Parts: sequence; C-alpha cells; structure tokens
Amino acid sequence: MTYIEKPVVPKVIKFEEPTAKEYKLLNMMLNTGSDIYQGACKKRGSTCKDEYRKVCGVAYMDPKDMAKLGVTNWESVKVTTDWGEVIVSAVHSRDAPHEGTIFIPKGPWANVITSHETYCCCDPTYKGIYCTVEKSDEEVLLMADLMRAVYKKYVEDEEGIPELESLGEMPVFKKK
Amino acid sequence: MAYEPPVTDYDEIVENCTCAFCGCNCDDLDFLVKDGHVVGVRHACRLGASKVMEDMDQRLLVPMIRDENGELQEVDWDTALDKAAELIAGAVRPIFYGWSETSIETMKHGIRLGELVGAVLDNQATICHGPSLQAVQNVGYPVATLGEIKNRADMIVYTGSNPMNSHPRHLARYTTFPRGWFRQRGRFDRTLVTMDPKYSDTAKMSDIWIGFEQNGDYGFYNAIRAALKGKEIDQDYVSGIPKEVIMELAEKMKNVQFGALYFGLGLTHTLSKQRNIDMAIEMLTDLNEYTKWVLTPMRGHFNVNGFNIFMAYEMGFPYGVDFCRGYQRYMNGETNTIDLLTRKECDVFMVIAADPGAHYPGGAVKHLAEIPVIQVDIHWGPSTEIADVVLPGSFIGVECGGTSYRMDGVPIYMKKAIDKPETCRDDEWIIRELLERVQKIKDEEAALASK
Repeated sequence: MTYIEKPVVPKVIKFEEPTAKEYKLLNMMLNTGSDIYQGACKKRGSTCKDEYRKVCGVAYMDPKDMAKLGVTNWESVKVTTDWGEVIVSAVHSRDAPHEGTIFIPKGPWANVITSHETYCCCDPTYKGIYCTVEKSDEEVLLMADLMRAVYKKYVEDEEGIPELESLGEMPVFKKK
Repeated sequence: MAYEPPVTDYDEIVENCTCAFCGCNCDDLDFLVKDGHVVGVRHACRLGASKVMEDMDQRLLVPMIRDENGELQEVDWDTALDKAAELIAGAVRPIFYGWSETSIETMKHGIRLGELVGAVLDNQATICHGPSLQAVQNVGYPVATLGEIKNRADMIVYTGSNPMNSHPRHLARYTTFPRGWFRQRGRFDRTLVTMDPKYSDTAKMSDIWIGFEQNGDYGFYNAIRAALKGKEIDQDYVSGIPKEVIMELAEKMKNVQFGALYFGLGLTHTLSKQRNIDMAIEMLTDLNEYTKWVLTPMRGHFNVNGFNIFMAYEMGFPYGVDFCRGYQRYMNGETNTIDLLTRKECDVFMVIAADPGAHYPGGAVKHLAEIPVIQVDIHWGPSTEIADVVLPGSFIGVECGGTSYRMDGVPIYMKKAIDKPETCRDDEWIIRELLERVQKIKDEEAALASK
C-alpha cells in the first residue's frame, strides 16, 4: 500500500475567534495545482475510485473561513466562479493560515470552475480566480458521474442526469 | 499513518530503473518483481512508487470503441485502429495532444502522422510550462544540469513551485540535501529559499520563505531587480513584502557563490504568465553581474521536456506546432490546444499518454464532448469517459524502453523491467500502425481522385 484512502488533514478545534460571525457565502480566491495525494492517486490510475474524490474533490480552506461558514472537515461546500460551479468537500488546510484563499488540487472537480482564458499566452488561468463558497447539502460526485453530469457527452436525456444510477468505482464497458 | 512493513515477498530485483513520473527522472530505482508485476519500488518517492505500482483495476487492457448507445465496447485491434485511422484521415483540423508520458521514439512516428494529415502537435507544456518556453524565447535561458547544482550551488530558490509535493526527490537527490564536490556538508552548506504565496510543504522546511501576495510575482521580481541595480524602492511594501526584506534578500542573493532558481506553475498560471518568467530570468541576468546564477523550470512529466526539445530540433518550434498549411507554424494563442478547443476549431482530437479530461479547464473539455476523441493511454481516467476510441498502450520505463529528457535537458534511456500485458501494444507500434493505415486511406483517395 503506497497510498491512503484520504488525505491526512488537521482538525483545528480551537479558533482564535470562537464567536466568529457566521456567513452564508464567502468571497474567496481560488487556486488550483498539484498536491502529493492528488499526484499519487492520479498517476497510480485510481481515478474512478472514492480515493480520487477524496484527494481531488476537496477544497483546502483556512480553519477560520470554515468556522465562518459553519462547516467541519469533509462537509460539502459549493464553489462558484464565472465559469461554473462544483460541489467539493471542505477540509482544514495544512498550509494555513491563508484566510480568503481556497486550494483545490488539480483534477476534474477543480477544472469545472477554472478559467479557460489564455490571454493569447497558450496557458489557461488556473490560479487566482475569484470565487464564492457556500455550504451545501449535496454529495461530491465520483469522477465518472461528474464527467457525465458536467460534459453530458453520451446522455440523451440531459434533464434526467441526477436520477441516473451512479457509474460506480470501476470502469464500465462491454466485454467481448 | 499506519506502519508499512518492507516488501520481502518478491522473485527478483531489477536494478537501476528510471522513474517515469516527474521531470527529475531519478535513474536509481530498484523494482521488486513478483509474477511479472512490480510489487515494491526502492528509492522512489511516494509519487514514483505509486505510479510504478499501478492500479491494475483501471489498467486499459483491450481496445474499445463507443457503440451507438454511448457505451464502450471491447473490439479487436484491427477494428479499433481502422476506426481511429478513418477518423484521423477524415479530419479537417485534428489535434494530436499529449506525448509527455511516452518515448521520443513514439514522437518520431507522431510527427510523420501530423505532417501527413496537417495536424496540430501539442504537448502538456501548453497547459503548464508554455509561458516558460515563451520567456526563454524572449530573454534567454541560463541553464545548468542538476549535477552541477548538486556539486556547486549554495543557494537554492524555489519560486511558484512546491517540489515537496510535486517533485519530492528534487531536494533530496539534486539540490538541497546531497553532499556535493564543493558542498561537503550538504544541507548545511546551502540556503533554501521559497517564494510562494502559499506556506507550502517546501516553504515549511526552507530557511527563508517569502510569501508575497497572490499575483504579486511580477512586482516582487521587479523590486528585487531595482534593489540589485542600487535603485531606491519608493514604496514601503511591494507585493506585500516590506522594502527592507527585499533589500536584504537582494544582498544575500548577490553574495552567494552559485545560486540556482527553480520556478514552477505558480508563475505560469497567474495573470502575468510569461512576463513573470521574463522578469525572473532578467533578475538572474542582473545577478550574474555579481555572481553565478542559473535557472531551470520544474517540468512536470518525465518527458515533457523531451517533446519540446525534440520538436524544437525537428521543426524549430517547441510545442503547438501546426502543420495544416503543409509546413510548420507556431503562433501563441492561435495554434495552441486550449485556444483551438475554446474556439471550437478542432474536429478530431487524439490524446496520447495525457489526461485532458482531468487537466483541461471545463471550457475546453466542453468542446471535446462534441467531437470524436481517440485515446492512447495505459489507465482508465477522466479522458476515457469522453473518448470514442480507446487504444491501450504500454508503460514506458517499466514495460517498454524508450528515451526521455530530464527537466535540465539530459537525455536518459529508460529500460524495460517487466513484460507488458499480452493484449496491450507499445505506443510506438500503435502510432506507426495509425500512420500506415492513414497513409493507405490517403493513397486510395489520391488514386480515386486521379481517375
């Protein structure tokens, strides 16, 4: 075993401001990039598994920001930018403090909301994107379900996607 | 984390293998092999080990084609290759993207196929270090090999990069920790500086962390340049860093014997893109007035630099090379994959050893959902979910040999350690087959047209 099922994240219990004002929605800055858990899981090839959702479908947040939103580790948040919205789990960042910034490791979840704008420099803007973060009750989708729900390449009834059965954690194809 | 006992149950050790993960291309790995599978890897980092000890559940083993219901269906090699060749031969504006996790030998056939059909050949540099290559074209490239850094450098600067997460052995094997010829005490003889808005895992172990503000790279390097030139900085803070700290850092950088700067995607992905790197390189030019400084981009994949070197050597341009007019063209913002996809120009997309489904911004993937996608890869990933033809390749550096280029431009031959699964084929074979089949279709078309 060279991996773990989910990243080890700190659990911050004591806040400097225990009576921090609660917000429904936070205006934040989004950064995406590589992370060692994401890299190990992606290159191992385990992208359909729950493990990949746990390492990529997460937003590393400052504990203070999480207190403001009233979310604890592994609860869902909705992150919205000009380019889309996605449900990810919020976790305490091991690089805190970085109040006002969230980090989502690169992967299908982050890329639903990153900017494809290259400004004629060939490189999309993956970092420094304005976003809003709010608490959500929805569950983080598995990779295959996310790709189907967002890009809808092989679904006829696009309205009915939420009701479709999950594609699960193993590749789905017809054997000969 | 749970304790993991060492792997003792293995048949043989294959020594001196090269890691097929990041641009460090560590060539000292030992694979522990049992029943034709790698069960343990010695000397590799967590990333390299996890890649070599792959997840066989998601290994692509058979060629597949989407049927009319939108489900992938296993087919034989001939059917899949014919289908792919038919798509490529019929395309008006095909893109062949990827190449960074395959061998130079495969790219050789890729170029010929690209020239034949007038495709755009692009690699992962287009979404990571493309701006670095543009900056190198703008202002030069004071490069050194990693061995030179190991033996000489007494100051290492990582900027916009987090090697402890993305190149874990970079510090251990090449830059910071090893004892070198002129740095006999290893870590104690070197100063490690991290410049990054994030207090990253690398920043935590650095001697100096400069946490300038987000998108503040450009201003910060300019301030250091001003300090180096003896100019007065008239603001108290530049990019969130006090003026005194900048002056002190500039002084320190001036007074080392040999400095090395490594920069990552923190510079290329923020708003000023290639201008950040222009400025970083020019900062080194200024530093070289006083002492010796070199820089290297922290390349991500083991052969991403290989594609750029190979293309620049063969075609004169490093990436985003467009053959649609019959000769090679390169124009930033025009012949690059993301721009072509967001403008909805591309009509057939072939991905070789890459994962656009996971790593392209949504706006670009949306166009991939509208056009046929051919995938040549070893694992089932987000791209397979949007692929129409899937051709299972083999694992370079483990299941087949091949040449790759390290991040500093040193070519390394990666040897074969184990046999590939019987139903898979070498990437080189797949691309050569596609080339032959497309050539046949084109010849038939030409014969028909001449009648």
